[in-house]
Amino acid sequence: MTSKTLIRTRNFVLLALAQVIIFSQIHLFGYATACIFAIFLLKLPRHTTQNEMIIWGFLFGIVTDMFCNTPGIHSAAATAMAFSRKYILAAFTHKGLPDDFIPGVKSLKWGGYLVYAIICVSIFYAVLFPLEVFAVRHFTTLLISTAGSTALTMLFVVVAEFFSPNR
Amino acid sequence: MRSILDILIKHNHWFLFLLLEGISFVLIVCFNNYQKATMFTSANSIAGNIYSAITDVDSYFGLKTENRTLVDHNNELINEVESLKARLREYEDSASIASIGNARNNDGFYYKTARVVNSSINKVDNYITLDKGIMQGVDNQMGVFNSKGVIGVTFTSSDNFTVVLPLLNSKSIISCKVNDNTLCTLKWDGKDIRHSYLIDLPRYELFEMGDTVYTSGFSSIFPAGIPLGRIEKLEDSADGQSYRARVELFVDFADIDNVFVVGHSNREEQEKLEEGIY
Repeated sequence: MTSKTLIRTRNFVLLALAQVIIFSQIHLFGYATACIFAIFLLKLPRHTTQNEMIIWGFLFGIVTDMFCNTPGIHSAAATAMAFSRKYILAAFTHKGLPDDFIPGVKSLKWGGYLVYAIICVSIFYAVLFPLEVFAVRHFTTLLISTAGSTALTMLFVVVAEFFSPNR
Repeated sequence: MRSILDILIKHNHWFLFLLLEGISFVLIVCFNNYQKATMFTSANSIAGNIYSAITDVDSYFGLKTENRTLVDHNNELINEVESLKARLREYEDSASIASIGNARNNDGFYYKTARVVNSSINKVDNYITLDKGIMQGVDNQMGVFNSKGVIGVTFTSSDNFTVVLPLLNSKSIISCKVNDNTLCTLKWDGKDIRHSYLIDLPRYELFEMGDTVYTSGFSSIFPAGIPLGRIEKLEDSADGQSYRARVELFVDFADIDNVFVVGHSNREEQEKLEEGIY
């Protein structure tokens, strides 16, 4: 348990650094910004308690906020995503799976895992962008930003899946 | 009561969720004013230090573009310096024109500036092309000189260009004078671009090495007193009747850029008057 927490903390630090140093700096075409710490939240085992999920989400959000000068925005979005993950994952869980599985290609197959990830990531951006503009600026711009960022993040989710040791 | 508590305990993650979302919204509303946001923004020391490290690395990657920009900028500055130099030269030349004009009382002469666009120096008959023509008031039979001395006489003009017959042309003959009173003619022998010859110098006049040769001002092409060169060597002419003097020209024909063209407003009148007499 302790070693698991240590590994998770290490992953947290690495992903958070990668997020704020590299990925938050990239704004593809002015619309898409990848959010790779979503991978960490997506890959937490199914039976992670909701409290732990939410706290991890909030921590990731607040760290990103610190570096992006957006106090509260990323944390609100990441918390919402972490909170809703349990319910989304439930829709993809089937009987053949072990009790405490880690969501991934191995457990959910490509189709299941990708849809699960897309829904989670879209929730994150669907909360993030409206909060960022704090008004329904241009509905289409919001839509493009959400779709673009989700697609970009999904790219990294897929890449991470290829390198994952226990997919 | 017990069951309500049970439900609350069972769903405690809802409270955590709402609490954290609440904190986030408080942050959004209260701390989006940057002055208050030092704690959770890049203004705090940890984020600041990491950012300065990132910037150091980042600037390294930007060096190539930076270099390119610097080279471009440098190029621009060089061009600017060159154009300013050219303008400075023009002003210096107009200053010398002004002094010449004053000395001559400026009777009927007017001046134009021009640039050399083409020239040759390695033939027996060399020509120089200027970027001004009839449209700019430059015509044939006008004097051309720069701040150092006489260059030649315009020969033919198109609308926007003019060909000059420089001193370095076997057809060029310039009327000039030495010591303010001796009239003579300058003619090139087609060999050395730094030297030309004064021909038909009368034997009764006394010349010294280093005497300066000026335009005579008797033709209406040049005003009097524009320098041509300096006498370097006196020798007998081929027929032995007169002297021949080698003159070191002041103008370096390999390096002429901005020139002045001088015209005379009454030249045609003077020529018409002289036509039947000479």
